[in-house]
Amino acid sequence: MALIEPFTIAETLIYASLLSLMGVGVTLLYKTSKVPNFAHASFVTLGGYVNFSLVSAFGWNPYLGLPIAFVLVGGESLLLFFLVLEPLRKAKCSVAFLMIATLAWHIAMLGFLGAYADSLETLLRIPSRNVILSRLDFTLAGLPGIFYVSVTVTVVAAVALYFVIERTNIGIALRACMENQNLAAAVGINTTRMLGIAWFLAAGLAGVAGALLPLWTQLSTGSGDTLIAAMFCVSILGGLETLYGAFAGGLILAFAQIVGTTILAKTVGLWITPYQPVVPLLLMAIVLMTNPKGIGGMKVWRRFK
Amino acid sequence: MEKVQMNFEPIILFALEVLAYVSIYLIVNEGLNIQLGVTGITQFGLVFAVSGGAFTAGYLATRAGVWMFHINTGGLDFINGNIILTTEVNSMTKAQPLNGFALLLIVIIVAGIVGALLGIISSVPAINLRSDYLGITLLAFGEILNVFGTAYTPLIGGPPGVIVPDVWAWAGGNRFVASTFTLVALAGMAYLYIEYVIRSPLGRTMRAIRDNEAAAQSLGKNLPRCRLEAIVIGSVLASIGGALFVLYAGSVTPTLTRYTWTFIPWLMLLLGGLGSNVGTLVGTATWFTLYDLILYYKFYLQNILPFDVVWLNYILLGIIVMLILIFRPQGLIPEKPLRAAGAAKSSTQ
Repeated sequence: MALIEPFTIAETLIYASLLSLMGVGVTLLYKTSKVPNFAHASFVTLGGYVNFSLVSAFGWNPYLGLPIAFVLVGGESLLLFFLVLEPLRKAKCSVAFLMIATLAWHIAMLGFLGAYADSLETLLRIPSRNVILSRLDFTLAGLPGIFYVSVTVTVVAAVALYFVIERTNIGIALRACMENQNLAAAVGINTTRMLGIAWFLAAGLAGVAGALLPLWTQLSTGSGDTLIAAMFCVSILGGLETLYGAFAGGLILAFAQIVGTTILAKTVGLWITPYQPVVPLLLMAIVLMTNPKGIGGMKVWRRFK
Repeated sequence: MEKVQMNFEPIILFALEVLAYVSIYLIVNEGLNIQLGVTGITQFGLVFAVSGGAFTAGYLATRAGVWMFHINTGGLDFINGNIILTTEVNSMTKAQPLNGFALLLIVIIVAGIVGALLGIISSVPAINLRSDYLGITLLAFGEILNVFGTAYTPLIGGPPGVIVPDVWAWAGGNRFVASTFTLVALAGMAYLYIEYVIRSPLGRTMRAIRDNEAAAQSLGKNLPRCRLEAIVIGSVLASIGGALFVLYAGSVTPTLTRYTWTFIPWLMLLLGGLGSNVGTLVGTATWFTLYDLILYYKFYLQNILPFDVVWLNYILLGIIVMLILIFRPQGLIPEKPLRAAGAAKSSTQ
């Protein structure tokens, strides 16, 4: 019996893609707004429910909802940014206050999503907890469509992000904001607008990841919360030096969590499986305490520059 | 002995319950205030110590009772025989108030020791990391105990949890009065203790570190040691709060979330005013008043709304916190300069 089935590898790659899409946003927001964004959890859940609602209401193919989830969740994050974070940033609040503000937003969103899910059930009789859309998915070469789509979306997002950040004027302005906001403002860059763009992009990607989520696993109002530690772990593993580290971080965490525990379960014993959620937590704690710059900050990369 | 049985109005029982929860949360919040408000540690993992205390109570209370009252277990283990053995212990705490208080004291002491150990563990990252990294690391630590509580069944029986003895069983029908008064007394002690710590030289050092790390260091203050002390004091209180929560509720499951036991305490502190001890009390009391007012009117709202009123709580509380952050970041009762413990009145003028 093989230690790892091909199906396990496919599962891992789906998980890695979704994690990367979420983690890259966490890194982007940390680099631009200097805040670890707890509201990322609700961005993911909202994306999932946007897609689920479109599928339930119009009978759409679940992949058609992706761009709409991107725009709607991006728009929601702009509300958070302009209504809450900008006033706080102008008042020169500490990082802890910005963190708790994103958290408060997350809690309010959790309330909205819970109320929305309840309303779907009571008013429209649509079961809205623990929903899964994989029955609507296609199959190709024995693997579910979500495998191809999630990997493609992640690769496209990575390439697109690379071009926007490295090759366009907006990207140059964004990088300037990441380096030094006061200096960027001094040379005439509208930093508020740039941060807004960063929030829109980051939240949009989280929304897409959330929209893909019910095709792979169950979607609930708490889905984002169960993934939030993993998102931060991906971002920290990848390192806050560079955006693209998050993609490597997603891959590593997914392998550690799925392949790693599968191998351990087969060699050490099944009793180890329930401890799977500890993996991202331990990885994150170890990376933060030994090499807080993460993979992207390691010295080996300088040779390639 | 004839027991005096009083009949309580539902509203009084409701008020007693609110008071009990305010007391439990006040103990936990004092633990957070000394770390976050006074020392400036971004403690996003308060639930670590709280669940440590809660699991200690779940694991220990029945065992300690069986040991203390020489109950014959008859070969039952503490998970499968949980209900039978707990009932046996209850019959002893029912017979004699002293038994109940002794059991309560044992649980509090052991929960405090466990809290101190967990505090030492979580101080490892706190000494080296910056506030934002630290927040994320502690957040990660936070729910690790839940995973163990779920996976390792001998601890508290896994997901179904275990019930714990009622240390207030001796009060009979007045159980809620007795438990509430005990909790209020304990919360008062925690409050006075933190008030003392804040005014002591240690408290002044903590505030110096919070306000200007470099300046405190240049004056020869031992930063790592002071942070360690803040985290240990805070974790001991949080752990005791968790244990009391379990004893009051009567059972424990591995579901203590970072929402209920980290974020809500943060929001209560922000509401009252970070670093201010009176603020902690006012914040906790105000929060529960608001929360329970919504719950109290739940039945009126429930008929109109197509969803569970608990979601309305989430929405309102999130919005209230954002409004506080933007319009009154210092909280309801801002921190004020304090007179040092033992200082004469004239010396402050």
